[in-house]
Amino acid sequence: MNLIDISFWRLSLGYLLLAIPLGLILWLRLPMFGRTVSAVIRMTVQLLFVGFYLQFIFDLENLWVTGAWVMIMIGVADVSIINGSNLKLSKLAISLFIALAVGTIIPLSFFVFIALDKQAALETRYIVPIFGMILGNCLRADIIGIRTFYDSLLKNEKTYLLTLSQGASLKEAIHPFVRNACEAALAPTVATIATIGLVALPGMMTGVILGGGNPMAAIKYQIAIMIAIFSGTALTVILAIRLTAYGNFSNTGMLDHGVFKRLKKQ
Amino acid sequence: MKPPAIHIENLTVEFDGKTIFSGLNMKILPGEKLTVVGKSGSGKSTLLHCLLGFVTPRRGRILIFGDELTDESAWKIRTYMAYVAQEPELGEGKIRDILERPFNYKANRHLQENLSRIPSLMKNLDLPKSLLEKEPSTLSGGEKQRFALISALLLDRSILLLDEASSALDKASKDMVIDLLKAQHELTILSISHDKEWLSLSDAVFEFPVTSEHSDPDQRDTE
Repeated sequence: MNLIDISFWRLSLGYLLLAIPLGLILWLRLPMFGRTVSAVIRMTVQLLFVGFYLQFIFDLENLWVTGAWVMIMIGVADVSIINGSNLKLSKLAISLFIALAVGTIIPLSFFVFIALDKQAALETRYIVPIFGMILGNCLRADIIGIRTFYDSLLKNEKTYLLTLSQGASLKEAIHPFVRNACEAALAPTVATIATIGLVALPGMMTGVILGGGNPMAAIKYQIAIMIAIFSGTALTVILAIRLTAYGNFSNTGMLDHGVFKRLKKQ
Repeated sequence: MKPPAIHIENLTVEFDGKTIFSGLNMKILPGEKLTVVGKSGSGKSTLLHCLLGFVTPRRGRILIFGDELTDESAWKIRTYMAYVAQEPELGEGKIRDILERPFNYKANRHLQENLSRIPSLMKNLDLPKSLLEKEPSTLSGGEKQRFALISALLLDRSILLLDEASSALDKASKDMVIDLLKAQHELTILSISHDKEWLSLSDAVFEFPVTSEHSDPDQRDTE
C-alpha cells in the first residue's frame, strides 16, 4: 500500500481553506456562521474519535467487537432517521432498528460472502467501511421514505378514510402511500447509480485507488457496493415502513397521531 | 323479524376529555331514510365516523344488522356501508381509475360487474362521459360530490352514509340526486344535511345536539 499520510500540522493548515466559505458567510451576512463553525468542530471531533476507535478495533480484530460496533452504528442511524422525520422515537425506535439491521446486514453479507473472498472479508477493515457506506445511504433514503409515508398519510387522511370505508384492508389502504414513499426514497439512489462516474468519482472507487488498488479493481468494488447500497436501501425502506406501521395503526386502521412530534395538519 | 339496519344504544363520544355527544339512541330500519340535522360542531360527522369504526365511543354500542361494531368486526361491518364525505377527496388518478379502484380490494372483487352501471349512473346525474378521463382536481365541487356518490352506489351496500352530500350541488343536480336516492327503496340512508330540500328524501329527521332526554329512539319518529 502506498497511501501518502497527511500529517496533523499539514491538516491544520488545510483548515485555512475554510476561510473561503466562512468569509462568504460573513460577507453575505448569512445567519449560519455559528452553525458552520460548530459543524466543522463537530465533524473534526467525531472523525478523530472514530479514527481512534477504528484503529483500536482494527488492532483488536475481534468479530464480536466488530459486531457490537455495527450495532452501535445501526442505533445511531435509527435515532438520526427518526429525528429527521418529525416522528417520535418511542413509537418507532425498535421496529426501525430491526428494519435497519435486517435491511443492511443482508447486502453486507452479499458483499463479504459472495463478492469478496470469505476470509479476508471478515476482517474489520472490510466490514466496518463497507457497512458504513451501505448504512449511510440507507439513512438518507429511510428519512425520505418514512417522512413521506407518515406525512402523506396525515395530509391525505380523508382519502385514506374513504379507502377504508370502501372495504379496503389495512394493507390495501396503505398501499398507495407505501408505493409513493418507496418511490420518493429510491429515486435519489437510482439517479446516483445512473450518473455514477460521470458527475463525481464515487467514494469507494476513490478509496480503493488511494489505497493502491488499480482502477479495474476499484470499479469492481464500486459496482458491488452500488448493488449492495441499492438493495439495502430498498429493503430498509420497505421494512421500515411496514414494521413501523405495524404499531402505529389502531385495530380499526386509524393512524395513531401520537406518532408525530408536532401535528402539521390543517 | 329483521334487525334494524342501524341500532345505536346509549352512545357517548369524547375527545380529549370533551364530550361531543352523550347518551345517543337511534334505530334505523332497513330501507329507511333518516336525516340528521343540527348545529355545526354538534357531532353529526363524528356519528358517521363512529358507524364506520373510525372513532371509538367512550360508552354505548352500535349494532349494524344485529352485528355489534367492535375493533374486530369493524372491517366486515364497513362492507355493509358506503360513505360519502363532506368535500370528498377522491384520491389521485383519472376519475375512471378512481371509480374502479375499490373493486381491486379483496372485499369488493366479486362486485366487478357493477362497473357496467357507471354510464347509466352518470347519465342520471347529468355527468358527461368525457369527465371519466379527467383528474379530480379539474372538477367542480358539485361534480366531485356526484362522482363520490356514484362510487358509493356502485359498491351496492345496504347502508349509505352521506355527510352534507348536497352542499356543493345546484338545484337541478340536487333534484337529480334526490330522485336517484329515492328510487333506491332497499337502501338504508343516514344523511347529514343543513339543506331543507334534502329533507324531502327523508322518512325521519333526527336533531343534534343530543341530550339523553330527547335521544330516546321512541321519541325520534317524526314520520
